[in-house]
Amino acid sequence: MAELLLAWRYARRELRSGLKGFGIFLACLVIGVTAIAAVGSVSASIVAGLQADARDLLGGDVEFRLPQRGLPDDTVAWLKARGTLSNLREMRGMVRRTDGDKRTLIELKAVDSAYPLFGAVQLDPVQPLAAALAVEDGVAGLAVDGQVLDRLGVKLGDRVRLGSADFAIRAVLLKEPDNVANPFTFGPHVLVSMEGLALSGLEQPGTLSSSVYRLKLPAGADAKDVIHQADEAFPEAGWQARDASKAAPSVQNFVTRTSMFLVLVGLTSLLVGGVGVGNAAAAYLGGKVPVIATLKALGAPARLIYAIYLLQLFLLASVAIVAGIVLGALAPMLLHALGPALPVELRLGVYPKPLLVAAGFGLLTALGFSLWPLAKARRVPAASLFRNLVETTGIRLGWRDWVASAVVVLALAALALVDAEDKRIAAGFLAAVAVALLSFRLVGSGVMRAAAAVHIRRRPWLRLAIANLHRPGAATPSVVLSMGLGLTVLVAVGLVEGSLTHEVAERLPEQAPSYFFIDIQRDQVAPFKTLVESLPGTSGLDLVPNLRTRIAALNGAKPDESKVEPDVRWILKSERGLTYAARPPSGSHVVAGEWWPADYQGPPLISLDADLAAGLHLKLGDTVTFNLAGREITARIANFRKIDWTTLGINFFTIFAPGALEAAPQTAIATVHADSPQDEERLAREVTDAFPNVSAIRVKDALDTLAKILGDMAAAVRAIAAITVLAGVLVLTGAVAATRRRRVYDAVVLKVLGATRAVIARGFLVEYGILGGATALIAVALGTLAAWLVVTQLLKGEWSFDAGRVIVIALGGTVVTLAVALAGTWRVLGARAAPQLRNE
Amino acid sequence: MPSTSVATTPIIELEGIHLKLASAAGEVNILRGIDLSIAAGETVGIVGPSGSGKSTLMMVLGGLERPSAGRVTIAGANFGRLDEDGLARFRRDHVGIVFQSFHLIPTMTALENVAVPLELAGRDDAFGRAEALLDSVGLGARALHFPGQLSGGEQQRVALARAFAAEPDLLLADEPTGNLDLATGRVVMELLFDLQARLGTTLVLITHDPGLAERCGRVIELADGRVVGDRRTVPPRQAAHG
Repeated sequence: MAELLLAWRYARRELRSGLKGFGIFLACLVIGVTAIAAVGSVSASIVAGLQADARDLLGGDVEFRLPQRGLPDDTVAWLKARGTLSNLREMRGMVRRTDGDKRTLIELKAVDSAYPLFGAVQLDPVQPLAAALAVEDGVAGLAVDGQVLDRLGVKLGDRVRLGSADFAIRAVLLKEPDNVANPFTFGPHVLVSMEGLALSGLEQPGTLSSSVYRLKLPAGADAKDVIHQADEAFPEAGWQARDASKAAPSVQNFVTRTSMFLVLVGLTSLLVGGVGVGNAAAAYLGGKVPVIATLKALGAPARLIYAIYLLQLFLLASVAIVAGIVLGALAPMLLHALGPALPVELRLGVYPKPLLVAAGFGLLTALGFSLWPLAKARRVPAASLFRNLVETTGIRLGWRDWVASAVVVLALAALALVDAEDKRIAAGFLAAVAVALLSFRLVGSGVMRAAAAVHIRRRPWLRLAIANLHRPGAATPSVVLSMGLGLTVLVAVGLVEGSLTHEVAERLPEQAPSYFFIDIQRDQVAPFKTLVESLPGTSGLDLVPNLRTRIAALNGAKPDESKVEPDVRWILKSERGLTYAARPPSGSHVVAGEWWPADYQGPPLISLDADLAAGLHLKLGDTVTFNLAGREITARIANFRKIDWTTLGINFFTIFAPGALEAAPQTAIATVHADSPQDEERLAREVTDAFPNVSAIRVKDALDTLAKILGDMAAAVRAIAAITVLAGVLVLTGAVAATRRRRVYDAVVLKVLGATRAVIARGFLVEYGILGGATALIAVALGTLAAWLVVTQLLKGEWSFDAGRVIVIALGGTVVTLAVALAGTWRVLGARAAPQLRNE
Repeated sequence: MPSTSVATTPIIELEGIHLKLASAAGEVNILRGIDLSIAAGETVGIVGPSGSGKSTLMMVLGGLERPSAGRVTIAGANFGRLDEDGLARFRRDHVGIVFQSFHLIPTMTALENVAVPLELAGRDDAFGRAEALLDSVGLGARALHFPGQLSGGEQQRVALARAFAAEPDLLLADEPTGNLDLATGRVVMELLFDLQARLGTTLVLITHDPGLAERCGRVIELADGRVVGDRRTVPPRQAAHG
């Protein structure tokens, strides 16, 4: 303890000279910690915003949601006894101008008079919702998203057609309390009353729709208890029940997942900065050799030396970390004030958890990269006072130093894993970073070894350039490592984005149909077919039955009691579509078992998607029981298929053999290809005019939405990746600055011998060119590998290599390396010779 | 070679050289009006107490320091008209310098160090000649050693070989034995005079060792930035030879 106090006193004394010389040390830590703290704080603000408005977003204390049909009267009565009940229907529909000139797909929500249970609907012009939606003179009102007016070219008060009835647009929908702005929607929202929905004729059996029942509970009632009691009372209800804690699960998942990726990329920037931290620590401690030797000569034990400098570095790191978390904590406010409009409300505040995580990462990084310089400082011999020069590079590390390093590395990894939502992805990421770090370390020493093996004659500047790459204390390893890691991340992000964009923007549209038509009633199938086939410029009509079912049992056991992999659990959670077919559909092929004969009429057989079956641990001959509108059907697995989803054609995970489902309630869905935009337009018009209840989903619109979401995500990841490069640039700046003295000396001696500035500059150009080029090359290789793994293994997507992007990033990286290094070296060229040559 | 016979064409001409340097305590006048003419082939010892401006004068002669006032003409070239690179090229072609602290390039072998001026001059035989020069200073066997692996005397011999490599018209030597022990210093000086004699190079030697200065044909004494003495030694060089 006394020793620690002594160490503290010495540490303070040495730090009196201020933070001079620690610019890079501090900047590297501040940048990394800020990135992580900012990402965490923004994500926490979003999640807190979602949770704070959870009841509004859910629209009730409890929600029961089930496809298509409503609940029987006794169930409704039971619910009514628990609190205030509100009933909604949600579905898709087509709104058209009354002259039939324009149409658009909408997300329709039919509400009762109790809606909304929480929050308020905001309308323009201001009026009660009931008034806006009321039926007047036989015409019901609509409250529509402003986009509907734009798309149809109509204005408030105009009439439009929805289904088979005319409606009056009475209000523009400014805010729906229960609508989390979900980017994955097919069209703008429209509110209608239950009476209005009935008038539209859209509510037909088998229509793809949801019935939603929401309860506002009396004070003191527990939402989870109510759900539990409801499930007990009506075990066969087949609903999805949730309380406000899961108001916006998909958005929340999206946010936490995105934030996890960004934190991991931020961690990379911190690790890159760590190289700069280590360099700065080594330079600082290297300059302290005489002090350390003197202290030792005066009787200071090695442990005290270690404590003195550990304390100093800890204090410095703390300054940077505090700055980083303060900046990070301010990020949500900055985003709120300046940033783009976010789809969700941020709840501003200070969120300690992400800040603590960021501080932890910062501290461990600083410690990890300072350990070796510290260990070397501890081992500086007192005898070095009697020598002119002490090379700390020759000092070896002891086993305790290795153990300490291992502990810090493991602690970093553990913190990253604990913090990450998805441990598997985080572990993969950490492994990738470890491989990258190791690779660049090897590349660094490879470049040095290669440079040492090269013998240049006749060009002393070139010889000097090569020598600079490999001489002891050369910046080669840190530059390669720091710039390399940053560039690798950029290349990987660029290529993943490139592959996804290529898929969504080019490959998919090439083979995708133009339109999906949903909710085609059984009696409409034949006329639909006739109509579409009669239209010019259309082809590839694919029309299949669509039934909604839930998996009730796997080999007779309830799904919750079966062994199911997490990545396919979604299939058990709610109703899914399936179909039946005599022949295997295009876009998939049988990989195991046999397809049934086209005229099969035996006991129920099914064909399952092979990946899904693997996740459910099902094999050929096993049985699956489906709940089909309350009726259970057990079928035996006849074969497995591999599905190519990228055709965007109709494909179902489950296909029944003929004979079992023909009589069940069902609708049909269809895909059609249209040759030109005019043909597309005509197709949508003719079909929706003839069949007002059928919704036309334009595939290109859906793909555009998807492309936009991908673009936004990529922009966020790129921004954080750019921080990694920034950290690399900082490290590079520091490394170049550290070699400045030596470079000045070399330049001066060469000048004395008659070298011009151009000759010396050429040497620097070659040196940094080789460094930047080699680093970029390896970064491209590693980044490509990482991107390929992410695209093909994690996202299971189609890999495409965007050479243009890679070349731009690689060249950019080399140019940045050259520019930063030369900027730091330029003044060396003008250094005056005389002061360097005098004998002090 | 008697110095008097070649004292007709001056290789060095200094006219009214002043040099002021800024320091923390204000401007310091280091050279205060030096006029000097040195003929080609002369050997000149410059002596004087510490701070008299000896080293600065040598920097001026090598084009490493620009005078605040005055005119420097070396081998017919007016330094005032040359820019930094022009001066560098001039040194490459006409001047060799030996420093007290050797100033070898640490990342290059002895052989490479010696070859640098030849390479800069674009000579094809750079390495052949460098090897011969190293041999002539007795370091043929250590050609592939780095400066850090050589003793002080050896390093200075490498520096000597490097300075003479391009057969300069003028050799400037600043206390070349200052960092060496007596015996080693003697070896280095023998080499220096030997090479000078063989090549007929003009030599300007800065030293505070009167014995060394006496071996030159002419001794110039500096004090407080001025020339306070300039005399011919008798007999010149031969006396010290051997």
